[in-house]
Amino acid sequence: MSEENTDPELVSAFKAGDAEALGLLMQRHQAALFGYLLRLTGRRDAAEDLFQEVFLKLVRNPGAYNEREKFKAWLFTVARNAAMDHFRRGSARGEVSLYGDGDKPGPADFTASAEPGPAEAFYGKTEAARIDAALASLSPDQREVFYLRHYSELSFKEIAETLKVPIGTVLARMSRAAARLREKLGGDAQ
Amino acid sequence: MNCEYGEKLILYTYGEAGQGLAAEVEAHLPGCASCRAELAALRAAGGALSAFKAEPSRNTVLAVLRAARAAAEGRRGFRFSWGEALLSGALASAMAFVFAFSGRTAAADLAWNSGLDSGLDSVEYSVYQAQADALSAQGDWEYGLSDLEDESLDFSKNV
Repeated sequence: MSEENTDPELVSAFKAGDAEALGLLMQRHQAALFGYLLRLTGRRDAAEDLFQEVFLKLVRNPGAYNEREKFKAWLFTVARNAAMDHFRRGSARGEVSLYGDGDKPGPADFTASAEPGPAEAFYGKTEAARIDAALASLSPDQREVFYLRHYSELSFKEIAETLKVPIGTVLARMSRAAARLREKLGGDAQ
Repeated sequence: MNCEYGEKLILYTYGEAGQGLAAEVEAHLPGCASCRAELAALRAAGGALSAFKAEPSRNTVLAVLRAARAAAEGRRGFRFSWGEALLSGALASAMAFVFAFSGRTAAADLAWNSGLDSGLDSVEYSVYQAQADALSAQGDWEYGLSDLEDESLDFSKNV
């Protein structure tokens, strides 16, 4: 197996007993998946746990992935569900949920930047902070769609299937997110 | 924004607009500052997310790889292979062949084919007969002893 093999081919190889295939698959998707989980949870330890949980699901039951399905869609669906379960468990333990609890903000309501660093270096501290604040001002639904689109690179149709909502809802959320970002960041396209 | 190009702009920004829609949005943009600002904001936010590179820790990755190796080894143990099955069959046949034919040539050297065996039989019989005689004599002796025991019992009754 090599980096030229498709995702379904790597999963098949893993099912047949090739552990390296799983390693290649993880390497291919780890940055996007981890980035998504980190932005979603706002916490590195939670993102690490969820990342491990998602791939262990595949390790323990590779048959759960249907090779006719797009692997990325399956991966991010599992990741999103794991994150939702994580926040539900946290909510049951009295911790804040993703979307907060009444007046109490949830992790999704905090700034989306878990770790300043490269973004600041690229954009400058002020600009990075402005963008983070703008992302934090999005509603949880808008932020979820925005992150999912950015990190998974799934089509809006696939995102609609992942979230189990109509595609019109997904596009509407993105459009409102864009309007909100425009308000916060201002400026012109030129 | 009141131009109602919101969702069309989203499709255009993310490369999901068909040729016709893309041309329509491109024609609209020069005349709409609001849409241009939204396009810029989406690109800036996306750029910030892309610039921020995050990776899971080495421990997390290793934990998954270890589990993958263990699971893969378990799956390999139960995997049926035609090649392996045929090879096993061929080896078993070869072993059976060697055993069958090597056994016949060696048989002639075995003691029971050499005539020595019949001699051993008569020796064995003699030993057996001697043992039987000895046992028989012992039986007579034990019988005699039992008579004595019976007499002692009678004696005890008379006391």
